[in-house]
Amino acid sequence: VKDSACASPIELPRLLEYWLGELSREESETLEEHYLSCAACAGRLEELSGLASAIREGFRGGAIRAVVTPSIAETMKRDGMRLREYRVAPGDTVECTIHAADDAVIGRLQAPLAGVRRLDAICTGESGEGEMRLEDIPFDPRSGEVLFCPAAAPLKARPAFTERWRLVAVDAAGERAIGEYTFVHAPG
Amino acid sequence: MCNETASRYTSCTEDSRYARAVHAPSFAEPVEDAALARAIAAAAPRIDAGAEAELCRRLAPRVRLYGLRHLRDSQAAADLSQEVLLITLQRLRAGELRQPEKLVSFVLGTCRMLVLELRRGAARREGLLRTYGEPDGALEPDEPTLLDSQRLSRCMDALTERERSVLVLSFYGDSSAHEVARELAMTPGNARVIRHRALERVRRCLEPKGARP
Repeated sequence: VKDSACASPIELPRLLEYWLGELSREESETLEEHYLSCAACAGRLEELSGLASAIREGFRGGAIRAVVTPSIAETMKRDGMRLREYRVAPGDTVECTIHAADDAVIGRLQAPLAGVRRLDAICTGESGEGEMRLEDIPFDPRSGEVLFCPAAAPLKARPAFTERWRLVAVDAAGERAIGEYTFVHAPG
Repeated sequence: MCNETASRYTSCTEDSRYARAVHAPSFAEPVEDAALARAIAAAAPRIDAGAEAELCRRLAPRVRLYGLRHLRDSQAAADLSQEVLLITLQRLRAGELRQPEKLVSFVLGTCRMLVLELRRGAARREGLLRTYGEPDGALEPDEPTLLDSQRLSRCMDALTERERSVLVLSFYGDSSAHEVARELAMTPGNARVIRHRALERVRRCLEPKGARP
């Protein structure tokens, strides 16, 4: 095999499956034999590895916001991240903050999710201004909660504010609110 | 063998920057890895520095990727890369790799063996840490990344909520499509489609303007 372009390149989805441990041992070994002798495919895998690393470090460093799962919250704790969690029931108001030493904040919005097909989240300011709608957020209906992990880095720079969050179930018949939550944030 | 001093292996052990910096005019044209292996073996007991540097330049990043995939630790992957290259060069010089065209099989076998050893070493280290605690200043170095974190943050922000969650679960949580699917109540096939689409969107977003026709 020459150090030049590849005649049978490994496609990105296959590289992803390999990188995330989804291939059988035999399939992995075949792929490894290929990229160990192929500069082009090794280069593509290197790019994927770099992206994976950047996303991991970006999330860990508080630069990336995401709706997460209880297992990710556990991973963050095992990973040594200093986590501040706020569990909020529908209709509740919570006073929250983030300190310089915190790595992340997670808002755990409790909600009756059984039977919900699509879930949107609507965020407004204290008086309903500046509406932002997050459509089709991922959730596990069995968990009974939605976990928001805002990007910690910009949150640390924000002054005091109040935000109202509304979870809305969406289906063919229309929309119905399933929970409203108020976050009163004070700088740490 | 792994404890021998690095000074004997000048081509590979002065870190990969050395290997990248070496320009061997005799390998300016595409040359097969096996031809490099044959040149190294034929030169013994002399050292064909050009062939060795070129072989290291090619293999070091690939072996490091193997290490990252199996060890998920950049320092351990770098150690693996160095060890594998040292062993490979030593076997080639000693004429012990009789079929240079099977170089990749040898490298892969060596990778597997050393990963097992490194894992056993890591397990021993974790046992010691549980007993005696982490020494001061023993934090693992972050994996170097050339990506602009602010730009990455903007690109991730442009994804849908579902796409962003799938990428975070995949790459921060190190979760397979089956695990992502279970946690987000979707099918594994759907998780794969969302993951691929999201990653492509991030790649395109990170490309310099004008990079695509």
